[in-house]
Parts: sequence; structure tokens; C-alpha cells
Amino acid sequence: MRLHILLRFVGIILLLNSVGMFLSSFVSVYYSDAALVPLLYSAFILALFGVFPLIYVPPVEKITNNEGLLIVIAGWLLSCLAGTLPYILWGGEFSFTNAWFESVSGFTTTGSSILTNVEAVPKGLLFWRAMTHWLGGMGIILFALSIMPFLGTGTRVLYHTEMSPLARENFQERAKRTVQILVSVYVGLTILETISLIFCGLSFIDAITHSFATIATGGFSTKNTSIAYFNNPAVEIVIMTFMVLSGINFALLFLASLGKLEKLWHSSAARYYLGALAIGIIIVTINIYSANYYQSWLSALRYGAFQVLSVGTSTGFATADSSVWPSLSHMLIIFFSLQCACAGSTSGGIKTDRIVILWKTFVREIKLLQHPQAIIPIILGKQPIEEEAVVKGILYITLYLIITFVATVLLVSMGMHVVEAFSGTVATMGNVGPGLGRIGSMGNYAHVPAAGKWILSATMLLGRLEIYALIRFFMPNNWKMYSSF
Amino acid sequence: MKLRLKILSGFFIIVSMLFLAGIWSINELSSISGSVDRILEDNYKSINASNTMVEALEREDSGILLLLLGHWKLGRRILTSGDSLFYAGFNIAYNNITILGEKEHLDSIKTAYTNYKNMWETPIVDTEREGNLTWYSDKLHISFNKAKTLVNQLTSLNNTNMYQTAMVVKSRANRIIMPGIIAMMASILFTLVFNFLINRYMVAPIVNITRSAQGFIENDTPYDVEIESRDEINDLNKAIMTLCSRAYKRRLSS
Repeated sequence: MRLHILLRFVGIILLLNSVGMFLSSFVSVYYSDAALVPLLYSAFILALFGVFPLIYVPPVEKITNNEGLLIVIAGWLLSCLAGTLPYILWGGEFSFTNAWFESVSGFTTTGSSILTNVEAVPKGLLFWRAMTHWLGGMGIILFALSIMPFLGTGTRVLYHTEMSPLARENFQERAKRTVQILVSVYVGLTILETISLIFCGLSFIDAITHSFATIATGGFSTKNTSIAYFNNPAVEIVIMTFMVLSGINFALLFLASLGKLEKLWHSSAARYYLGALAIGIIIVTINIYSANYYQSWLSALRYGAFQVLSVGTSTGFATADSSVWPSLSHMLIIFFSLQCACAGSTSGGIKTDRIVILWKTFVREIKLLQHPQAIIPIILGKQPIEEEAVVKGILYITLYLIITFVATVLLVSMGMHVVEAFSGTVATMGNVGPGLGRIGSMGNYAHVPAAGKWILSATMLLGRLEIYALIRFFMPNNWKMYSSF
Repeated sequence: MKLRLKILSGFFIIVSMLFLAGIWSINELSSISGSVDRILEDNYKSINASNTMVEALEREDSGILLLLLGHWKLGRRILTSGDSLFYAGFNIAYNNITILGEKEHLDSIKTAYTNYKNMWETPIVDTEREGNLTWYSDKLHISFNKAKTLVNQLTSLNNTNMYQTAMVVKSRANRIIMPGIIAMMASILFTLVFNFLINRYMVAPIVNITRSAQGFIENDTPYDVEIESRDEINDLNKAIMTLCSRAYKRRLSS
């Protein structure tokens, strides 16, 4: 293991964070707010740490798989740590634990917040908070790869470590080209949504911060009452549209933008994703209307659709307090928080692709009961998938649920209410954001005990890095590698 | 990049991190000093002035009661001294307006006090008002209470502002500590990174060059060292390589 290689790559990632902080400081200058010095100082420190290894360590073309794993994990952890600097330096509600929670929530695009009064935070810091979503949404490593020239096989190694294995199946291009496609779709969607929101009457800052949070399926808003603050159906429609788009595999979106719309329909995961959202909206609308939460069907549809899409895409914005809705709606919210959207998007959770694999495996097992000798492949997107991928997918779901259960038990043992503990774990593990009760769509995580915040931060990272990478990082056989520094 | 620049860049980074943290802390400290001044000079002065006004009003109330009992000389003396004490306090407060809305509040105190004063300025002793407790309780005391309440509100306005300023000072004090802590931790971490890079790209190549050169001199082993960096150490390596190669050729030819 070559530590200098790690330093060089992590340096580049820190430089990227530094650029984000510098950009946020322009917002601070514009609004003459108190976040300017904390942002500039943080950016300066990160820039120094980022540039220094570049001075010493010459460019490298080859990196091993283990080095790639270490770079990705270190890149994520250090980005989260670096992201806490402006918060800590600004003060307010940010203790180190709170700043870490907010930073991890930002980079993992969870959108859970410890802030009780978001509007009291300077605009520059809110911009940085949204920026963490945007940088983390695409995967900070992929962003770094898109700007790093001539990395040779390094690109492939880092790309394979960072990307979800299911998402990779959809990309037939070379790693470098794939990264470029991903970034161009990501940037394109962000620009489109920002322009649309400005047309709907939002200020530039509100439009861009909410676009960052939507496209990254994050959920940080600049308002205490999230999207409900605007009370503007046009804004809600734009955000709903982009939330749905951001939950679709970016490769499919890219192909659709080239005119190959049929590819979108051929993907069983995308079909299931859109169908599940539509059914979810119908059930929640009927449920909240018949329980007299809203006076008209249209209002029930407006608020029901927004909440379902927000949770179903793992975004976490809110136009209503879904904590007070009936139990059936709560059950659906929990289901969508577990499932989330398609692999290859910025969404978190188990992902619809794995749910489809699970369902098809279940159907196959039923068929095998009738025809024990039959060979029935699992077909996803018109192509049979390997048995190993099926096993991995089911194992992932099992592991995901075990971790959710363990984290819930730990939170309950700290005195948290069981509904809040479970929904909070599901929401953070799926990078959704809001849970139920006091941590619901109009609530926050401020009251969660400090140890609980660390547990929830860990679940956010486990969910974002799809469990295996983080587990592999801490495996005892890797300790030998770390000791060779 | 030249070796000198590489080493200097490391020291520059450590110094600049500490320097900036220092500048920031100094700036925050001077800002705290300004806030403390504001608490002491502005709010505390106004609170003292309010207390003086309340004291003056209480004295005047006693003076009026003496007049009602027919003690003209003593009553008037107390009223005159109370009046001058009230204006002394009022003028201090008026020349020390620091809070939004404080001026309007002082104007209403002045109006209330003038109304109150108009009531007791006219003769009381040897008139139908002497011993008239109904007049005192129905009119004069109400006017007195109004003026006193307004003065007390001024005290509370300044107290609230003082508390808020103190909270800002507290938050700033916390903020002063953070840049220092972060600069210290960053410097320690940076020193470790600096040490590692110096060791890997400067010390280790020199050791390798020395070992290989000694091997060539003592055991005739070929001089073969690879240097990754493009600096003076690389130049030195190339020069030694050339030297060894020529020495080897000369040895062969001799």
C-alpha cells in the first residue's frame, strides 16, 4: 500500500471541497453574512492540504484494488470531516457531533438535519450545506475522476470501487466515458431545474440550493418548513418532476436524452420504480382524503404525491407534516424509505433493481416447486443476470435489514421512541432524511442523543457506500495493508 | 519544483495556517472587547440613569405626601431636589441612546413626567388639595405610576439588550477557541504529512544514492538508483550516474 498515492488522491478530493467552499463564500459576500470567514478559512486549510501532496507526489497511472478502496473510503470520510469545518467555525447549533451529523447527512444526500432554525443560518453556510449534497450526490470520487486527466487504469479501479455494482451493469461504455456521461447528465439536470425554479418565482439562491438538493436526492432546504414555505404548486410540480428524474438510472436518462426513450421502458427496474410510485401516490391520496386530512381530492393528491415522490426518490423535501397522517400512509412511507429508487441514480436505499431481483427470484422459486428440473434465468433489462449477482442482491437486502434492526435496537436502548428509532434508521440508511414523529418531515434530529447521532451518521455512510465497501475497509485482513504505511 | 521551494512551501503552509488563525482570533477578541465596552458603557450607563430617575420619582412622591400633610417647606425642598435628580438621570439616558426605539421611549418618559410635574408644581398647601387623599390616589398617583412604569421599562429594555450582547460575547468566545484548535490540529496533521513526504522524496532518495554510490566504490556493484521526483536530487542522481559510468569505463580502459 502506497501512502503517497493515497495522499495525492485525497488531496485532489479535498481541493474539490475547497472549491465548493470558495464558491459558497461568494454567496456570503453577496449577503454580507457571518459565514464568510469560516468558509474562507476552511477553504484555505483544505486547499493547502490538497495542494501540498500534488507538489511532492508525481502523477501515477496504476493503482491496485485495495488502494482504490482505501482512496474511496478515505475520500468520503475526509470529505465529511472537511465539511464540518465551516459549521464548527461558525458556531450556532453546531457542536462537533452536530456538525459531523450535518456534514455526513449532506455528503450522503440524506438531508436529515439537527438545525431547529434553518433560516437563522447564514446564506453562505446554507449554500455550502446544499453544495455538500451536490458533491456527494454524484459521488465525490466520480467528480474527482471527471476532472482528473490521464489517470490510466486508476480511473477504472476507482470507478469500480465507487459505483454501485448494479449501476455498472447499465453502462456499456469505458469507465472514463461513463463518468463523463454521469457528470454531464447530473450538471444538465441541475441547470434545467435551477432555470425552471427561477421561472416559478424563486430567488437564484433558493433555486440553485433546492436544485442541488433535488438532483442529488438530498433534501436540505433553506427554509424551516422546507418546500411548504413557498406554497407554490408550480414549484412543487418542478421539484416533483426532477425528483422522479433523479431517481432514474442516469445511463437510461442519457439514452433517453439521445432520443432512445424505449430504453427507459425496457428497463424492468425503471418500469417498476415508476409504477410503484404511481400506486403509492394513489393509495396515500385515498388514505389521507378518506381520513379527512384534506378537504378536497386535489389537495390530498397535491400533498400525497409530493410526500410519496419525496420519500420514494430518497429526497426528503416536505410540503406537509406526514407524521400526523394515518398509519397506512406511514407504512407506505417506511416501505418507500427502504426501497428508494433505481441503481445508477443519486438515490439511496435498497434500490428498485434489487427489489425486482428479489421478486423475480421469488417467482422463480415458485415455478421451481412445480418444475424442479427447469432452468429459469433471472432476466433484468432483457438480459439474464448471473446467479452470483442474484445471491449478492438478496444478501445485500438481508444485510441491509439486519443493520437497520441493530441500529434501531441501539437507538431504543438510548431512550428513543421505537417508532422514531426505526423510522430514523430506515430514513438515514436509505439516505431519505425525515422519519416519523419528532424526526418527521417538519421535524429535525436535534433531540437525538449524541451517541445516536453517531450511529445514524454511520448508517448514512453504510447506506451511501452500499455496505460492502465500508465492511471491506474494516476487514481484519486489510489491517496488514494499513500497517504497511 | 526546486527542493528549496518544496521545503519552503511546507513551512509556509504551517505558518499561514497558524497566522490566519491568530489574525482571526485577534479580530474576534477585539470584537469581544467592543461588545464588553457596549455592555459597560451603553447599557449599564442607561440602567444606572433609569435607577436615578426611579429614585427621583420616589423622592418626589414623598415630597408630595409631605405637602398634603401641610409641610410646605420640607415638601418643596424634596420636590426640587427630586426634580433636578430626575433630569440629571434623564439627560444621561438621553445622551446615551444605543438601542432601536430607545429615543421614542425616552420621549414618552419625558411627556409622562411633565404631566406628573404639572400636577404638583401648582400650590397644594393651603388649597383644597391639602389633605385631599382622593385627589392623590385618583390623579397624582396614577400619573406617578405611569412615569415610573415607563422608566422601569427603559431599565428592562437595556437589561434585555445587555443580555443579548452578553450572549453574543459568549458565542464569540466559543468561536475564538475553534480557529485555534483547528489550526493546531491541522498543523499537527500537516507536520506528519510533511514529515512523511520529506522522508519519502528527500531523505530516502539521498540514503539510496549514498548506499548505491558506496556499493559502487567498495564492491563495484553497478550504480542504479531511480528517483521519482524532478528536482535537484534527480539531477544529483543523474550526475552521480554519469560519474560512475565514466569511472567504470575508465577503469575498464585502464
